Amino acid sequence: MREITLSQAVNEAIAEEMRRDPTVFLMGEDVAEAGTPFKVLSGLVEEFGTERVIDTPISEPGFVGLAVGAAMTGARPVVDLMFGDFIYLVMDQLCNQAAKQHYMSGGKLQVPMVLRTNLGATRRSAAQHSQSLQAIVAHIPGLKVALPSSAYEAKGLMKTAIRDNNPVVIFEDKLMYQDKAPVPEDEYLIPFGEAAVLREGRDITLIGTSSMVQVAGKAADILANEGISAEVIDPRTIVPLDEATLLGSVKKTSRAIVIDEGHQSYGVTAEIASRLNEKAFYHLDAPVLRMGAMDVPVPFSPALEDLTVPTPEKVADAARRLCAGEMIHAA
Amino acid sequence: MPHEVIMPALGMAQDAGRLVAWLKKPGDPIAEGDALFEVETDKATMEVEAQAPGFLTDVRAAEGDDVPVGRVIARISETAETAETAGAALPEPSAPSETAKKAAAASAPPDDLPEGRSVILPALGMAQDTGLLVAWHVSPGEEVAEGDVLFEVETDKTTMEVSAEAAGFVAAILAEDGEEVPVGERVAILTAEKPTAPVRQKRSAAGVEAPQSHEAPAAPKETPATERAATPPVATGGRILASPKARRLALEEGLDLARLVEAGHPQPFHVRDLEALKTLQDARPATAAAAAQATRRFNADIHREGFSEFLAWAAESEGHADAPALLAAFAAASFRSGREHAPICVIVERFGEESRHLDPDRAATGRSAVPDEDAPAPDLILRDLRHVSISSVELGAEDAPVLTIMKRGEGLAVTLECGAGHLSAAAALELVSGFTGRLEEPLRHLL
Repeated sequence: MREITLSQAVNEAIAEEMRRDPTVFLMGEDVAEAGTPFKVLSGLVEEFGTERVIDTPISEPGFVGLAVGAAMTGARPVVDLMFGDFIYLVMDQLCNQAAKQHYMSGGKLQVPMVLRTNLGATRRSAAQHSQSLQAIVAHIPGLKVALPSSAYEAKGLMKTAIRDNNPVVIFEDKLMYQDKAPVPEDEYLIPFGEAAVLREGRDITLIGTSSMVQVAGKAADILANEGISAEVIDPRTIVPLDEATLLGSVKKTSRAIVIDEGHQSYGVTAEIASRLNEKAFYHLDAPVLRMGAMDVPVPFSPALEDLTVPTPEKVADAARRLCAGEMIHAA
Repeated sequence: MPHEVIMPALGMAQDAGRLVAWLKKPGDPIAEGDALFEVETDKATMEVEAQAPGFLTDVRAAEGDDVPVGRVIARISETAETAETAGAALPEPSAPSETAKKAAAASAPPDDLPEGRSVILPALGMAQDTGLLVAWHVSPGEEVAEGDVLFEVETDKTTMEVSAEAAGFVAAILAEDGEEVPVGERVAILTAEKPTAPVRQKRSAAGVEAPQSHEAPAAPKETPATERAATPPVATGGRILASPKARRLALEEGLDLARLVEAGHPQPFHVRDLEALKTLQDARPATAAAAAQATRRFNADIHREGFSEFLAWAAESEGHADAPALLAAFAAASFRSGREHAPICVIVERFGEESRHLDPDRAATGRSAVPDEDAPAPDLILRDLRHVSISSVELGAEDAPVLTIMKRGEGLAVTLECGAGHLSAAAALELVSGFTGRLEEPLRHLL
């Protein structure tokens, strides 16, 4: 199978959907003629023209609000938010408007909008351009959240997102844009709420999202050398969440670590760990662990920044201790 | 040495507390840290904890009493007997009117200490249970005026000076600089007259065991998470620490986690510890076997058996002639009394073959020819020796009661052998008579 970068995969997904459906259009800062962020969208304006690939002013609340209106009136906007950190600027448009229109109109309005943005630290972008804010979005009912972990997922999830009649926020890992993965030439979609079991294991389940799927995979490699068999699962979407696959795996292995690059406290990992505790309690031989980014602003210093995120070594160490029965604390 | 229970000072301006309720009765065993009584001040109601283990004795204040701060209201002794009978009488309580104004009140001086006004370590905060005696400002024998600073005490929040409540002489200093002293404990004695032999001693010299938690003030306040996790947690209150899965599996497999505790197996228990538990439990049948040595043996003869005929009839009319299953059903039905809700597993042994039957007497739920690995331990073993020439057996008890059927003339002989621990004589008789009755007249079984 051919291998393409995550950038190319996203580009292909948007292009294919724009060819298929004339109501799909793209807008955001620098998406057209001003040069494209992370070179993801190169070539789209040449094919679809400035009518459907629209450069916006630097005003996130303005153009996201515009997209919500366009979606309510029949278009399918794909909105580019250059950094995930800018989510804070569009909270009202996203959480108060897009997320609630369908409900508050009694089902008369739909908001088939895709907000395409990113997450991930260790790109030396400092505290305001390095955050992983998927938990904030996932908290709001009415929004779907997809977290692609490779080029393959990025393409399949993007196409599903564009066809979904609800607002969907896709967070791409900004460090992964140039990473290549096998992607079929033929069209495919990845349904939401279907986790991928990337590696089968017996002793512990490593549930990783987005950038942390690779970390979980490398941790599983380390553990395999020590005779610990780790299962690696990528939920792919956290709203909706494929509980059945996660629970099935944890019931088999009886241990789990949930890894996500958002801050550890009050995050995606806490939600997933909590559901496992609630629904697989009597199958657990160890507490479910959360591993997220440190609860600090992402440092600009490279040495410090690298310390804030989960690494394969840290995950393997935690897994080792869980399997050794070292992490049940006295009540 | 008995430990005196003193009405503590719970606030700086407090001079008496109302004893709201005793939480322990005289004679009750006391662990250090047990709540002894509730006391109400003008600000709050608090539980007061025992500073030492022992037995509550010599209770001198009743619920509802307003007790001056520092007054001894009970003792914690080494035995449940009162100290009076042991010859160490409590001091007569001084009149409340006299002491109500004083933060420090009179208390009992032990034999070799001068008599006088006790100075106690005051509670400087609500959550405080000890204070560090930083420094004395007076020496033994020194004369002090009311308001003179006696010593400095440090809590986790602050360092404060404690002053004399009355003029007098420092007759005894009972705790040294740098010692950690429980709130309410006497640290000095003031007398009105100049003492002849003033005392100065360390608190430890007075035979007071420092509470363990205070013995290591130098312990690091926070161990790194990795080290902390590696320390095995300790179960409290008799609770067994085990993972949810280990608990569930133990329940499902009838394993008793308490046996692992008895064996000193380190907690918390995980699934893999159940293997150790299984070997522990497997060791148990040794005693069961010993009990089974005392064998009960019953013989019964049936002169005319109806079983063969019944089997032939069943084969012809129902197309069903599974003799082992039918025998198992007869045996289980005879054995059922008192086991209405428990499954009965019967092993039927014939020459060269053996089959297991679960609840064979129950048409709806019974299962025949259960694979060995699925079957529980047998409740009953049935040896069908009708087709061989053995006429009598005496094999002794086995793990389960054994019924043996042999040919005898035109009829059958039935022998039951079991350990005394398996079946009472009455139950054994019931089993034998029920079983022979069914062999004699199989239609009885259908009724």
